[in-house]
Amino acid sequence: MTYLWLALAFIAAAVAAGVIFARQGARPGESGKHWKAVGLAFAALAVLTAVFDSVMIGMELFHYDSAHILGLKVGLAPIEDFAYPLAGAVALPGLWMWLTRKRSGESNRGGNLKGLIPQALLASRPVSWINTAYPFAAAMLLTTREIDWVLIVGTFYFLIPYNLAMYGINDVFDYESDLKNPRKGGMEGALLQPRLHRPMLWLAAITNVPFLLVLAFAGGPAAWISLAVSAFAVVAYSVAGLRFKERPVLDSLTSSTHFVSPAVVGLALAGADVTPGLVILLVAFFLWGMAAHAFGAVQDIEPDRQAGIGSIATVIGARRTVRLAVVLWLVAGLAMLATPWPGPLAAIIAVPYIINCARYWNVTDTTAARTNVAWRRFIWLNYGSGFLVTLIFILQWSLTS
Amino acid sequence: MGFLYLASLLMGITCMLLLDHRFRLFFWRDAKAAAIVTAVGVLFLLGWDVAGIGLGIFLRGEGTIATGLLLAPELPIEEPVFLLFLVLCTMVLYTGARQLLDRTPAKRSERARERENV
Repeated sequence: MTYLWLALAFIAAAVAAGVIFARQGARPGESGKHWKAVGLAFAALAVLTAVFDSVMIGMELFHYDSAHILGLKVGLAPIEDFAYPLAGAVALPGLWMWLTRKRSGESNRGGNLKGLIPQALLASRPVSWINTAYPFAAAMLLTTREIDWVLIVGTFYFLIPYNLAMYGINDVFDYESDLKNPRKGGMEGALLQPRLHRPMLWLAAITNVPFLLVLAFAGGPAAWISLAVSAFAVVAYSVAGLRFKERPVLDSLTSSTHFVSPAVVGLALAGADVTPGLVILLVAFFLWGMAAHAFGAVQDIEPDRQAGIGSIATVIGARRTVRLAVVLWLVAGLAMLATPWPGPLAAIIAVPYIINCARYWNVTDTTAARTNVAWRRFIWLNYGSGFLVTLIFILQWSLTS
Repeated sequence: MGFLYLASLLMGITCMLLLDHRFRLFFWRDAKAAAIVTAVGVLFLLGWDVAGIGLGIFLRGEGTIATGLLLAPELPIEEPVFLLFLVLCTMVLYTGARQLLDRTPAKRSERARERENV
């Protein structure tokens, strides 16, 4: 009987909410249609429940303590299970009608959001999703050596919502300068229409906050700090007022944090031991990220200057930025030599980056746009590096197990 | 570890969103309101689940088609996904029914007007 009382309590709450919302939300003459539609929806749901609840119970997905249920069944589904669709069908349409009450007479708001999802996905640079999901998943998996829900949820978060926020916020606040840059709108970014700017920021918040809360819930203080730093770097990079991307050096530091922080979050959630080897690895990764950002900024020197935007490259110039990137990659590679075996193997990964970039050792500000060729190659180089890093991780896994 | 149940749920959710997209029912009608309804619905039903688990009524099965990953004792990772599907299914059915009900009298009055014209 316990289940019946539980179900009745929740149904009572749902009915009360449903009736109040429907009264407040219905326009004259709308009420009849509302309850008719609720009836139709529940009738369909009840049939679906009878069929699929039976299938799910038959497949042993869940069962009930028989002491707590009435024993009355439709198929294999206990009668109390129909309480879920009933409560949902009574309460939620009422809430929906109440939320949409004023707007139904006005112009279709949904029309304003047309294209938001495809635009958001395009803006999030799907070609680069793996760059943030991989560091998280690798760091966590290599520490815990098992796939649990935190790993799955976190990997999904750093695969899509995180990139949606990072690039979505960036494209909203970069709209003005991106307008002047012909490079944007394809693989390397999308021009976002102004009417989608506010919805894009909302989308970023809605898709990120729940994941951040769940991941924070799953970890301790180390995870909270790393998640906070990660989220702050995502926002601070481009949001008006902070605009870290326009502050030389701070721009490269923040950009690198975007890629290293997922790994740190993974390590924190996994409760990894902080060893000198691990710190050197993270520092090398961080230097690699700084070099990548600095080199990427070189190609945009002209459009950035025209738009009055500062970056590490506009301030210290194309030639010095390229040389700085080469040196950072070199130091990153050398640092890997100081890590425990098989870490030193990763030093070789720095070589293609240095070769790719060193050809522009004598680049000038006027020829800076030509580095775009190398930048495009760079995006694919990352996949090759990911492949090599994965091989090294597998080797490390087999050596330590 | 099985992914059949989780995969079926995700496919079901995709189908609901396709219907939503095709007929401009829920998220494609008012994304903000739909997001609120979905969040409230999932949280309400999840609260119900937790209460049931706390009272010892709901017990997780050992079915081979589930991943076996748990968010909390007796609460598998598939449960919130199932609740999301249930909420989307409910709202697609309701908004779909409303669209049909709203359309019918319009047609009748159109027909009536046609008759008057004749």
